[in-house]
Amino acid sequence: MNLPPQLEAKFQVLENRYPVKRSALIPMLIYSQDQFGYVSDDMIAEIARRLDLNTLQVTETMEYYSMLRRHRAGKYHVQVCTNVSCMLRGGNKLYEFVQKKLEIGHKQTTEDGIFSLEEVECIGACTGAPAMQVNYDFYENLTIERTTQIFEALELGRGPEPSIPISGSIKPRHPAEVPVISRLFGIKDSHKLDVYVANDGYKGMERALKELTPEQVVDEVKKSNLRGRGGAGFPTGMKWSFVPKESAKPKYVLCNADESEPGTCKDRPLMELMPHQLIEGIVIAGRAVGSHQGYIYIRGEYRYVLDIMDGALEEAYKAGYLGKNILGSGFDFDLVTHTGAGAYECGEESALMESLEGKRGYPRIRPPFPAVVGLYGSPTVINNVETLSAAPEILRRGGEWYAGLGSPKNGGTRLFCISGHVKKPGIYELPMGFSLRRMIEEVAGGMLDGRKLKAVIPGGSSCPLLKADEIDINMDYDSVAKAGSMLGSGGLVVIDEDTCMVDLARRIMHFYAHESCGWCIPCREGTGWLRKMLDRFHSGAGTAEDIPMVAELAKNMLGKTFCPLGDAAAMPTISIVNKWRHEFEQHLTGKCPYRPADVLALTR
Amino acid sequence: MADSTEVTLKIDGRDVTVPPGTLVIEAARRMGIEVPSFCYFPGLSLQAACRMCLVEVEKAPKLQTACTLVAMPGMVVRTSTPQVHQARKAMLEFLLANHPLDCPVCDKGGECELQDMVFTYGADKSRFAEEKRHKPEQKWSEAVYYDAPRCILCFRCVRVCDEGMDVKALGVGMRGSQSVIIPNGEDHLDCEECGMCIDICPVGALTSGTYRYKTRPWEMSYVSTVCTHCSNGCKTTLSVRNNEILRANNRDLSGFNKDFLCTKGRFGFDFTKHPERLRLPLVRRNGKLLPSSWEDALAEASRRLAEIHKATGADSIGFIGSNHTTNEENYLLGLVARGAIGTNNLDHHRTADYASLIAALGENSPAASLTMTQVYEADAVLLIGDDPTEQNPLVAWQIRSAIRHRGARLHIINSKSIKLLRKAKDFVEVPVGGEANAIRWLAEGHGQLDPNIIERLSRLRDTLQKESNVAIVFGAELIGSAVRDLVKFGSSLPGQTRYMALGDYSNSRGASDMGMLPNMLPGYASLSDAKARDKFGNLWGAKLSDKPGLDARGMLAAAANGKLDALYVVGANPVKTFGVDATDRLGKLSLLIVQDLFLTETAMLADIVLPASSAYEKNGTAANTAGELQQVRKGADVMGTRSDFDILRILSHQLAQQGLGQAIRLRTPEAAFEEIRQSVSGYKVSMATHLLGEAEATAPVSTANGNANFDVPASAIFSSHDTLFTSGTLGRYCTMIQSLPEAAEERTPEVEARS
Repeated sequence: MNLPPQLEAKFQVLENRYPVKRSALIPMLIYSQDQFGYVSDDMIAEIARRLDLNTLQVTETMEYYSMLRRHRAGKYHVQVCTNVSCMLRGGNKLYEFVQKKLEIGHKQTTEDGIFSLEEVECIGACTGAPAMQVNYDFYENLTIERTTQIFEALELGRGPEPSIPISGSIKPRHPAEVPVISRLFGIKDSHKLDVYVANDGYKGMERALKELTPEQVVDEVKKSNLRGRGGAGFPTGMKWSFVPKESAKPKYVLCNADESEPGTCKDRPLMELMPHQLIEGIVIAGRAVGSHQGYIYIRGEYRYVLDIMDGALEEAYKAGYLGKNILGSGFDFDLVTHTGAGAYECGEESALMESLEGKRGYPRIRPPFPAVVGLYGSPTVINNVETLSAAPEILRRGGEWYAGLGSPKNGGTRLFCISGHVKKPGIYELPMGFSLRRMIEEVAGGMLDGRKLKAVIPGGSSCPLLKADEIDINMDYDSVAKAGSMLGSGGLVVIDEDTCMVDLARRIMHFYAHESCGWCIPCREGTGWLRKMLDRFHSGAGTAEDIPMVAELAKNMLGKTFCPLGDAAAMPTISIVNKWRHEFEQHLTGKCPYRPADVLALTR
Repeated sequence: MADSTEVTLKIDGRDVTVPPGTLVIEAARRMGIEVPSFCYFPGLSLQAACRMCLVEVEKAPKLQTACTLVAMPGMVVRTSTPQVHQARKAMLEFLLANHPLDCPVCDKGGECELQDMVFTYGADKSRFAEEKRHKPEQKWSEAVYYDAPRCILCFRCVRVCDEGMDVKALGVGMRGSQSVIIPNGEDHLDCEECGMCIDICPVGALTSGTYRYKTRPWEMSYVSTVCTHCSNGCKTTLSVRNNEILRANNRDLSGFNKDFLCTKGRFGFDFTKHPERLRLPLVRRNGKLLPSSWEDALAEASRRLAEIHKATGADSIGFIGSNHTTNEENYLLGLVARGAIGTNNLDHHRTADYASLIAALGENSPAASLTMTQVYEADAVLLIGDDPTEQNPLVAWQIRSAIRHRGARLHIINSKSIKLLRKAKDFVEVPVGGEANAIRWLAEGHGQLDPNIIERLSRLRDTLQKESNVAIVFGAELIGSAVRDLVKFGSSLPGQTRYMALGDYSNSRGASDMGMLPNMLPGYASLSDAKARDKFGNLWGAKLSDKPGLDARGMLAAAANGKLDALYVVGANPVKTFGVDATDRLGKLSLLIVQDLFLTETAMLADIVLPASSAYEKNGTAANTAGELQQVRKGADVMGTRSDFDILRILSHQLAQQGLGQAIRLRTPEAAFEEIRQSVSGYKVSMATHLLGEAEATAPVSTANGNANFDVPASAIFSSHDTLFTSGTLGRYCTMIQSLPEAAEERTPEVEARS
């Protein structure tokens, strides 16, 4: 098959990029789709041929990822997010409006082939909710008026200006903020190498490479009390120390940029505004564990971010911050980006490795743990973007300095993405242990339209929810855990008194059912069952017996699933049933007292 | 005494000691504690997907999957606590949520693992009030159907197809609760049609085209016997209802093939009820074959044989035996030919040179014979010629399993690009027919070969010198002196080298072992060996001739030029097999008698055709290509037919009345087997094991004492190169297999010519 020259060139790079050819599969599929609008049977055969796979291996991988399609979509593929943060800010209304406007429904295409529509899960624009993507362009803070303008422009064939950078990243700093990893947000051209270098960029790496031994680098990070910012909060220095010093196989550093936890949109600005900080952090991790190859796995929806990252990598190579003998230190490190294709589960570290190896994103059995047997069966350290982005300043200014910014055992600062019913949604860098009440009432400007607070999701939709009277806590891993929830990914979603909690539980379950990988029974069947049940219950067809059963089914998933996704679906559900049981009981009258039943157009 | 490296743990309050690396689920099973599981399947990769095997482990915060948990010293496991029971009940409730409760019409009903588990651990009522998932049933091939809603996604089928079969025809489509198993041809399968996926499916998601909606499992009886197709001797269990075979599988896992059956073993039984099956003897009257009674047909056969014997002598009569009949029947045919008629004109279609292998091994034969199980246990396998995937599917499975489970190394010498190359460490490609030269070079260190091949061979030799206990498997490419060379080379390798010659059919080995050869008596005793002649002569009540007879080709040539007057064919189709021009009724033969299941090209020319029972309709024994002896057991009857055993026995009585030989006094196959045990070299196997239905290795020892003749004519031994979808003449009557599209693709002219 003859490919267009640009695609051919991309394919050739991909074919030679990975130690195992199959790794190129998902990027090849998505780049072909970008080129042709879909992945044809011929293209499947061509990719299979190039990667020594059979076509079944290609199609089964392809069918796993929600962005990949085998049928042509419109010239403009409109993806409206209705997940929690967007829903709270009118996402459903937006979606209804777009449906009417285009006269098509979920996964349909207009007759002229110009538009296609899809209701999508969280696209990482929570602080700019409600939001949508047209192809890879983000449009945020949408109103009916602005949406109408966007469609008018698209109809004329003009691409309206997308929302770059992500809304809520650049704004007046709140005095309580402590800018460390976001310190260049708002500075012109902060993504460029010269700007980064002029602001102490690559100093931490230089120290790590030239002045410290790998053990000293690990010690510095241990001292900093940096804990994993992906959500689990595992001490980063300790994680690095698990990687065996001697290994017959190459070791890898993996950056998890598959940000997709609903309510979370911090990795996106870190990559689009300070990509060099991430590169620097990855090289430091490489130095610490003795790795010479890194990969940044970026969720497929963040294509423009991937392009920015690629630009930064090119600059870094040219300037000698990557490649052979970095800064004359004798240390070599290579780094490339890798695109995902729409799968929340691939944010789970072992599923991410499977995905990077070109397979369906199923999680792996542990032990062995990635530090010993990870990517390509080799020792691998895998960290979140935000975690790695903290390493440069830790190395430059010292672990103790960083630890001192936070609370005991919770070093430093973190980016809190505050979305939902607040006056000033945004991404704020605050010290670990900052008061949740102050975050809502002061930093984010208090509740929208003067309404009362009902609930808070403290760290992405996987966390148990907190009630309005439970917000006097410090936002660090241990304090939030003590309060019965989790700090998670730092995605705070603030929910007001007019919101139906049954509807919220229902929407959350739709997400997990959509994203369940299908590997294990309790998650696959449990999320599907609960989704149907909560739909029915919210529509007014529930029974009194259903209420304890929702919690019981969720408990039957809890702790029994293969990976944490099942727990992630169970925990918010259990907390909502337990804390807002009366709202479920109110639905027994046959209708939702909060607002008319808002049937989701999601078909699965 | 426990080995010091062994691990002792406590399960449900009792100590158990297991080898290191043992999984808790296996340790529990050892103690008789059943930990339920769907996705865990011994021999396949671990999944931990079904979550049925969750157990409590002391000090672990959550329940653990026993299928992935490795037993550690001092570990305390509880498999029967309220928490564990609750977890199992919950998993089953989740599974049943979308699973259709169509058990009354489901093929699997009554032997379904999900049904059994719900019975044992499940809830007594359903709480699922939502709409179930619906998906139409799909026909993936004539043999394999998929019913997605029944599928519990344990991925056993996907794994057995990929890991076990190396076919990779099944995958997982979609995601989450929409996940389904998908075939490689989008809506159909393009594969080896082995049906392993059907047998391994714990529920009724994958069903068999031959069996679906036919019956209920409890309405059938089950007979485990030996597959009648290739030479590997897989155990297959026939499911029989009302005297009709409805299914063949390996549900009891009792054979050395364990999980494995190929498409022929699983679907190739329907020839038994093929409409063209002969059910009445036929006798030629005025040029036409007309139905006859058994009495008339047999009387005529014996009378005319006696007349010819009287007129032109014993050596004007020849016998061609079968590759599919039992050892007892083959033994009887030798008795009739040598004892009653008095000729050594006795042969069959030889597909492997067992005689040369046994001669070359000499006294070493028992120690140096390679069994199917030993192929799996080998650290290194040298494969010369053949294409086991097609011709010897179990051998291929054993090799793949040895590589997959035990890290064995496969080295191949072949002229063809066979599928097993994917798994090979070394491959020496030789020109067509070049295998023997390559082996001569390995044995002698010289010979005329392409320098490139010499370089590769010398590398291979160095590699093999570093292995030990090499298992050598070879096809019909090596015969006569090449086999001697092979054994010479093999003997130079470290450890105990073992050998297996690969033949074509279910009792090819037994036909050879039972002396259906023009120059050898049963057990490869030479005709020139007076003691052996006396031994069998005494048993058969005759004085045996020491004059070597004609081989099969010799008999057919003699028939063509008028030197042979009568030919007696049992279960063979020499017209096709040897490519005889049959326009003139096999030359100047005055009598052609054929015992067979169908009116084959040879039977069509016959004067008398006797309808025989198939291997699935009789008792006896058969030896696979490795010389492993197993029971052949009767599954059903086909009215009108008789076993070759009975036909030959009755014939001998009638011949005796005509003054030829003594009537066979062995009344049953069991009696004949006892005589074989006592008289045939290598066959004195343990009756206890044999009667249990297990395989017993036979290893005849040659009495040639270094005087063996390795001068075997090149045309005397040849393979039909059957594929997965052909089985000599028999394959033509296997309706299900014939209906598979892959069978049509593989029906090459070469194969067609010989089937």
